Amino acid sequence: MAARETNPNFMNGVPELLILRLLRQKEMYGYEIVEAIRSRTDAVIAVGEGVVYPVLHGLERDGALKSRRKTVNSRSRIYYSVTPAGSHRLADLSEAWTNLAAAIQRMLTGGDHGEAIK
Amino acid sequence: MARPLNELRERLLRAGGAPRHVRRYLTELADHLADLRAEEERAGRSRADAESAALIRLGGMDDLAEAMIQQRQFQSWSVRAPWAMFGLVPLFLLAGADLVALFILWSGWKMFLPGADTPFLRNDGFANLYFQADRAFYYGAPIFIGWGIGLIAARQRLKTVWPTAGLVLIALMGGTAHVHASRTAVPSGIGHISLDFTLGPTDPLLPYGLLHALVILTLMVLPYLIWRLQKALSLSA
Repeated sequence: MAARETNPNFMNGVPELLILRLLRQKEMYGYEIVEAIRSRTDAVIAVGEGVVYPVLHGLERDGALKSRRKTVNSRSRIYYSVTPAGSHRLADLSEAWTNLAAAIQRMLTGGDHGEAIK
Repeated sequence: MARPLNELRERLLRAGGAPRHVRRYLTELADHLADLRAEEERAGRSRADAESAALIRLGGMDDLAEAMIQQRQFQSWSVRAPWAMFGLVPLFLLAGADLVALFILWSGWKMFLPGADTPFLRNDGFANLYFQADRAFYYGAPIFIGWGIGLIAARQRLKTVWPTAGLVLIALMGGTAHVHASRTAVPSGIGHISLDFTLGPTDPLLPYGLLHALVILTLMVLPYLIWRLQKALSLSA
């Protein structure tokens, strides 16, 4: 029997999605990424800022990101940018999340099933 | 580095994090913490308040540790496959070192003692140096491998079970190995060198092989014991 696809944890993949989306525009270092997430989500998504690094390292290990050390204003930082594999991953994650968000939105606003019950 | 980050490092290493991944994580966290502190100071906080606020924003130690520990890909091989790191790898290393030592012995026999029935003869000059260097390599290899095991175990804060098993294995292999060489063992007469593992004749106390293994084991753990002793003394001072 084929395994059924499930969504065991609604937050799974969210940090990856946000990071890939941000880094597609320009390369950034960790602090910049966290700042950008906070400002663009109006601080709705707030986590311990340090937990972004294992996500970045995991994405880099998977080949979705690449990093380079760069010195700016006499401070050496690790900048991350998206690879072609990362762009594919971003597209997949975006599609999955758009579908999931649409499904939840339909549930919350009544949707087809709610109308059928009336 | 801030004290909480030192605690985090210990916690990650004890949880099996690979040292290089832990080091990189902590470097980036320290940079991030400095940025947060500067931001808080720009907002008008005192140095101490800025430090506290920055640490809170960075995340709790539990969250920071969990985020790393959950990613199994960042665990060291000593934790993911200890049987390989402390069983197979040292075994192959010692086998390789023995092979090299036997080759050096065979080549020395061929170069310096072409007519002799055995390479285990008294030599002078460069030939003596050549054979003694080979002997030092042969007897030193298990001890160096043992030191390597000890270094990895101490660096990664490992529990003692697997490293001890690896040390005992290497000590037994090194202690019970015996080299045999004979010109007449094979019909071609080019010289034949072999290695076998036996306990050998019994001394008054123990078989010679076990005694040798005990000596190797002692030499392997000696640096670690000295290090622990120095650490204990520096803590009590």
